[in-house]
Amino acid sequence: MIARDRNWLLVFVVCVVLAVVYPLFADGYQLTVIRDALIFGLFAASLDFFWGRTGILCFGHAAFFGIGGYIMALVTLNDAIPFGSLLGLAGAVTGAAFVAAIIGYFLFFGGIRGSYFTIVTLAMGVICQQAAVSWSSVTGGDSGLIGIPPIEFDLGGLHVDLSQDLPSYIFVSAIVAVAVLALWSISRGHWGTVLTAIQDNEVRAAALGHNAPLRLLVTFVLSAAIAGLAGALYVCMAGLVAPDLSGLLLSTEVIVWVAVGGRGTLLGPVLGAIFIQRAQQTISSFNPSLWPLLLGCVFVIIVFVLPDGILSIYARLKGLFKGGRRAQ
Amino acid sequence: MSDILLQAENVGIRFGGLQALEALNLTVRDKELCCIIGPNGAGKSTFLNVLTGTLRPTSGSVRFLGQDIAGLPLHRIARLGIARKFQIPSVFPSLSVEDNLKVARWGAPSPVRSVGELLELVALTNRAATLAGELAHGQKQWLEIGMALAIEPRLLLLDEPTAGMTPQETLATADMLLRLKGEFSIVAVEHDIRFVRALNCETLVLHQGRRLRNGPFHDIETDEMVRDVYLGRR
Repeated sequence: MIARDRNWLLVFVVCVVLAVVYPLFADGYQLTVIRDALIFGLFAASLDFFWGRTGILCFGHAAFFGIGGYIMALVTLNDAIPFGSLLGLAGAVTGAAFVAAIIGYFLFFGGIRGSYFTIVTLAMGVICQQAAVSWSSVTGGDSGLIGIPPIEFDLGGLHVDLSQDLPSYIFVSAIVAVAVLALWSISRGHWGTVLTAIQDNEVRAAALGHNAPLRLLVTFVLSAAIAGLAGALYVCMAGLVAPDLSGLLLSTEVIVWVAVGGRGTLLGPVLGAIFIQRAQQTISSFNPSLWPLLLGCVFVIIVFVLPDGILSIYARLKGLFKGGRRAQ
Repeated sequence: MSDILLQAENVGIRFGGLQALEALNLTVRDKELCCIIGPNGAGKSTFLNVLTGTLRPTSGSVRFLGQDIAGLPLHRIARLGIARKFQIPSVFPSLSVEDNLKVARWGAPSPVRSVGELLELVALTNRAATLAGELAHGQKQWLEIGMALAIEPRLLLLDEPTAGMTPQETLATADMLLRLKGEFSIVAVEHDIRFVRALNCETLVLHQGRRLRNGPFHDIETDEMVRDVYLGRR
């Protein structure tokens, strides 16, 4: 356990160092590509925090990403609201958390778990996307909202203006690093251990005095809040918000990022998101219709062959090697 | 009368057309040890589920320290001071032995014993880092007893604590319960007669959901009717 924690921190530090030196070698465009990929990485980490620790899959996590995005867009596009960026970020986080709290309350305290939870959240994602399309007076309908300003605020004498590539890259990297580190420290300690126990045997955990539904609910709400934050960051960087951001395709993609990167590792999903988006850009440049096909195949292969993600290949090889040596 | 911990009065339960339990009474006093025995299908586990509040009786009531516990959420019942050991060993297989005990302690309103003491009590000190899923069957049973002790119960309910144990393990378990007897009340459901004999306590015999006999074990053991039921003559 201790050795595993040390390894995790080591990988984390290496990633942070890479993120710090990257701007020295990259031009503005490359920086924005990695920046956007990191935002989706944060989104993947938020799903992993819930899925990886509870074993319950949310198939509509993009709903929270979209809710965060739309709230951010509506707040910052409204000139009457002062401190638009800060209020927008706060609103995006609380809005996503609020929706997760309401839906989660009924599901967790109603005893909905496993595949049923997955199906209900799938429907939730579809409903959110439909709402974004249909409520066009507010959301702009199919075409969404454009012209969302970059994040800009003053905090304690510090003026933050993310209209340039480098500052926005630094800001996003810092948020992702802090969020991933925070989620990791929550999930490895007391809270995470009890969640693992609940995943193993919920009735037993309850019979020991743990309020399992409440604990699952709080984890879900926290996960949704981070997803909302990622959505808010994304729309400010992209400058637009559209119904796709809460759609089924993004919900599926985020699951693949987590599955490929390694469920329950938090860092793996961030890396998974970065690498898969990179692959998507390369493959789509050959043929745009090839990507959804490949994505589906990768998903199926991961589920059947490598349920613990790409990173587990290393652990498996190590196990094989050790096993072989012992046999001699 | 103030030392009554658990009182089940006139408990009956009906599953559809089946009267699983009928007119059962049980009083457990503070720091008392008692056993519930009976052949398979006598309703022992059902009665235990009613006593822990997991099943709501269709008639009668179960009171713990004067409070009706039927239908309370499981974690609330645990926090009142009722610990339970399940029939199938239900430890958390993907956590280490030590983490299993930690999770149990965290659930307690005011844990007293340290994880180290608990490990010693259930003789698993040298397996602390082992994943609970990898323990031998008997060790899982003991770990589960350790987890039940971690929540510092007023009342410990054991559902077939020695199921699947070797005769030596069974007697060692009985020894452990006798040592713990002075700390809290224990109700054990069993059908291993050797175990009940080793405990030698107040015993309630169930048969087809009804009370057949109750009294001290040596009276029960010599009872002709009980022998008939156990040997399947009726």
